[in-house]
Amino acid sequence: MSHRGGERDFQTSARRMGTSLLFQLSVHERELDLVFLDHSYAKPWSAHPDASSARPTRMLFVTPRRHQDSTIEADIPIDVETVTSTPVPLYDNQKARSVMNECERHVIFARTDADAPPPPEDWEEHVNRTGWTIAQNKLFNKILKALQSDRLARLANEGACNEPVLRRIAVDKCARRVRQALASVSWDIKLVQWLHTTLVETLSLPMLAAYLDALQTLKGKIPTLIDRMLMSSTTKTGAAGAEALSLLLKRPWDPAVGVLSHNKPSKLPGSPLILIASSGPSSSMFPTSRRHRFWQSQLSCLGKVIPIATHLLNNGSGVGVLQCLEHMIGAVRGKVLEIHNHFPHKPIILIGWNTGALVACHVSVMEYVTAVVCLGFPLLTVDGPRGDVDDPLLDMKTPVLFVIGQNSLQCHTEAMEDFREKIRADNSMVVVGGADDNLRISKAKKKSEGLTQSMVDRCVQDEIADFLTGVLTRAEGHSGSEPRDQDAEKKKKPRDSARRDLAFELPERGSRPTSPAAKLPASPSGSEDLSSVSSSPTSSPKTKMATVTSVQKSSQIGTAQLLKRHVQRTEAVLTHKQAQVPISSDQTEEADKEDLRGQLKRQHPPSPPPGSKSSKRAKIKVTIVSHGDGASGPSLPSQGGTTEGGKPITVTRGQAAVGAKELTGLLTTANTAPSAFHTLQSRLVASGGHCVAASPGSTLPGSTSASSLLQGLSFSLQDISSKTPTLPASASPGPATQASSVKLPTPMQGLGAITTGTGTIVRTIPVATTLSSLGATPGGKPTAIHQLLTNGGLAKLASSLPGLAQISNQAAGLKAPTTITVTLRGQPSRVTTLSPMGTGAASLEESTSQALPSTPQRLPPAP
Amino acid sequence: MATQYFKTVEHTSTNEKKSFKLKKPNYQLKFTLDGHTRAISAVKFNPKGNWLASSSDDKEIKIWEVYSGTYMKTLTDHNLGISDIAWSSDSELLVSASDDKTLKIWNVGAGKCTTTLTGHTDFVFCCNFSPQSDIIYSGSFDENVRIWNVKTGGCLRCLSTHSAPVTAVHTNQNGSLLVSGSYDGLCRIWDTVSCQYIKTFMSDNCPPVSFVKFSPNGENILTATMDNTLNLWDLKKEKCLKKYIGHKNEKYCIFADFSDTDPKLIVSGSEDNLVYVWNLETEEIVQKLQGHTDIAISTACNPKLKIIASAALEKDKTIKLWEK
Repeated sequence: MSHRGGERDFQTSARRMGTSLLFQLSVHERELDLVFLDHSYAKPWSAHPDASSARPTRMLFVTPRRHQDSTIEADIPIDVETVTSTPVPLYDNQKARSVMNECERHVIFARTDADAPPPPEDWEEHVNRTGWTIAQNKLFNKILKALQSDRLARLANEGACNEPVLRRIAVDKCARRVRQALASVSWDIKLVQWLHTTLVETLSLPMLAAYLDALQTLKGKIPTLIDRMLMSSTTKTGAAGAEALSLLLKRPWDPAVGVLSHNKPSKLPGSPLILIASSGPSSSMFPTSRRHRFWQSQLSCLGKVIPIATHLLNNGSGVGVLQCLEHMIGAVRGKVLEIHNHFPHKPIILIGWNTGALVACHVSVMEYVTAVVCLGFPLLTVDGPRGDVDDPLLDMKTPVLFVIGQNSLQCHTEAMEDFREKIRADNSMVVVGGADDNLRISKAKKKSEGLTQSMVDRCVQDEIADFLTGVLTRAEGHSGSEPRDQDAEKKKKPRDSARRDLAFELPERGSRPTSPAAKLPASPSGSEDLSSVSSSPTSSPKTKMATVTSVQKSSQIGTAQLLKRHVQRTEAVLTHKQAQVPISSDQTEEADKEDLRGQLKRQHPPSPPPGSKSSKRAKIKVTIVSHGDGASGPSLPSQGGTTEGGKPITVTRGQAAVGAKELTGLLTTANTAPSAFHTLQSRLVASGGHCVAASPGSTLPGSTSASSLLQGLSFSLQDISSKTPTLPASASPGPATQASSVKLPTPMQGLGAITTGTGTIVRTIPVATTLSSLGATPGGKPTAIHQLLTNGGLAKLASSLPGLAQISNQAAGLKAPTTITVTLRGQPSRVTTLSPMGTGAASLEESTSQALPSTPQRLPPAP
Repeated sequence: MATQYFKTVEHTSTNEKKSFKLKKPNYQLKFTLDGHTRAISAVKFNPKGNWLASSSDDKEIKIWEVYSGTYMKTLTDHNLGISDIAWSSDSELLVSASDDKTLKIWNVGAGKCTTTLTGHTDFVFCCNFSPQSDIIYSGSFDENVRIWNVKTGGCLRCLSTHSAPVTAVHTNQNGSLLVSGSYDGLCRIWDTVSCQYIKTFMSDNCPPVSFVKFSPNGENILTATMDNTLNLWDLKKEKCLKKYIGHKNEKYCIFADFSDTDPKLIVSGSEDNLVYVWNLETEEIVQKLQGHTDIAISTACNPKLKIIASAALEKDKTIKLWEK
């Protein structure tokens, strides 16, 4: 990829993370970023001529090696006074200290006899050991020793600047020793309960607090055993005490709790689905490790997480490693396919730990996914490092992020860099200093840097989110060179990002025409809009009606918001045309509608909802946003009366056919500017049909009507779908490419866009062929919209929309979306020109909108 | 007191009448504090710098006012001579290490012993507070270092890796590290939390270590060995940076101290009855303080004022305050 994009990512990531406290955690290790911020022309220090796809490695908490220069040293006076300033703790120290002392504050809850005076400080001498068995004495002494060293650690750590972290380490150690002691008696229930009761009775308060701290820590690890141990005492203390104690022991305290809860990670744009490939076959006997479960919940902050479990056949008997691996890959692959079918518009991210990472990579070679994240990549094998010439991983095209531990046994940084040079996929790497294969940092590291695992995990998560955001929004990097208005971006995030991520997929898809079934079918706008409205990505789509009802004036606030940045750039007035296809629906739920209306109201604040009167009508909204010259926008010749001064085109069912006819009539015009159509078409398909940004639309005088474009679009779609096999996979830039202007980053991208178009067409075959009969006679039926809708493949909407099903009865069972938004964008100066340059390709915002060179000739003549 | 232990060979200082040019700093005798009835073993300024505590073989601790050089009070409770004393960081507590195998924590204001720390099986020779003053470290002739809880008086830990009497214990400025020196010639650096030793320093030929101390910033340690040498070590690089020689130190555990005046100085007593002052950087002797009539066993630098205190053994029994 181009370095420009890289810089942008750096900047956006820095902007995004700059506010985060956690960013400061490792900021001294990120000098690289600062260089980029100040000198945006600089190449990454690790820029490699052979490995343009490998982005610079990011170091998290990697302590830089400092070279000692012995020659200079003699001249430096020995300083015995100045205390080297210790780094300020990266967490909220006050809060951390408060949670740290939780057990000490509430130690009284644990006491069975609260009225009795607490044991004196020299309680040890007063412990009455008469009647104790050898085992009891032994166990008691072991626990005592653990508690005493914890006491010492507490005292020694007191006043240290990172005391909470040091305390946490000490408590963990104490808990470990207590657990060892208890395990040495096999958690004998009688002995353990006796121990607990005795400790609670005899320990002095500070020691009891230490004991509770250890219990609290162990409760998080082995809850059932601890519960069993506490059972006896809870019967004594009564319900209140037991409740307080269980509340106290609920979960171990964490020094970084304040920081982490204040800086919650935000969802990824485009509501991607995160698939976690398991790193081994799971069974009920050996549940997934706590760490993996923890990460699963962490990742669910970024998007919907779907863990993929592989179950062994025959309880694993007679199953070889190879078979097992195949099985795992198969399971992940199947899941990816399933999700493609169910949520065709959703980006899929594969994440795996260790072997799971490898599985994810392999699946990404076979199936289309948006990105892969490898946590702890097993690079080293018995046969040496991966990445040999015949390694299928080298064929990866999916953007991939490797997160590895500095002290990992399964890979090391240098070998990873070599490997990264070889793979062609856009790849990034994060090295976590002092971490192992599971990205756990060592105790020494925690101690020396004042870190906790939770902080490291969050930083890793931030890096993952950063990378994925970059991938999902990459298209934006290609399109605009100016920094966008952040507010506008925020407001329109779901919509914008959805567009971006889909647009980004283009280069990916184009280069992998092998498995059409795996391709992501494009979805028209409606699906995307609705899914962004619906609360959960997986919630079964209900009947949703787009009762978009606005009486549109020449410009719409809601749309203006949507396109705010474009407005700012071109300073053109928006023309917003809407085609509404009302469908009577008896099953409409009022509540649903109200809910949706509320959403829409927010989007179009000034427009009264006249459609709300017809509560029994569901409508398909076709919104065409033409974004052209301010003057020419409203005064564009309206075709067939469909557009009049930007009024919404409201086509009832009965009128639909007529409208469609009119639209088809416009194909002549369309033919004159084939590239425009194809631009539009390819973009429509590619970007999922929602908010399609096609610039040339408004630049064609004859086809300013949005509906005509739609119509033409459907035709070209059909045409292409019937002829797909003949389409060259890598079409050379055709006549339209001459229009590609400087705005397109590189010719390569243009090419990518073209091939992309092919890819998407291939994908649409299954849908389109069923409509081929319709396509042959487009004039008589509302095929234009219909096809557009059906093509979108919004999975389950149509089935629950009887009205829609009626309309689409020709293609029974095919689904249709409810809203289609086509955005037409043009450059004001070129609105009226029809020259090749004027077709607007030059003004295209995204490289993907380059025309298919070969398809124009294949367009059927207008009826 | 334990210093007597080494008095088997009585040392008479050769009278050095060598005239030497006094360079800066020019310390002059200000007060001579008389009061102890036996040899003085240690003098320590409190962190505020206004009091001086002295311990002696006469089982007493005396507190002196620094500015006026007046005697304030005496703390008595030990059964045998006292080898070392240390102030807590808030100047309210004192800990003393005695030949009666105990340590005592004193409330200076009340003038009373608050806690007695028992556990050592031989003379307790050195002691120090942690910076937070909630832990006391002590070294003993039983070759162990013990860690005590100030609040409860309980022994938290016993470190026994030295193979000879422990002569000095000291923590760095944040209390994370402990250094202990021993006659076995080793200086061990301990992690105070885990009680594992991290590093070991030793000079060539392993001369017995008579004294160790962290520098104020905790990045260097100063060691005195019984081969008439003081060494300044870099803790991180584990190498010797400076070597201070010229004095005489072969039999006694003589204290040394950093002086944060400008230029930085190293101050140590000597077995030739003088107090030597070195320039820390250049290693040269910048002054010799003459006045004591016996071995200047203990020296201390005032943390606030440019005052050096020195104390001498049996034949002298006085404390001298030197001011620049």
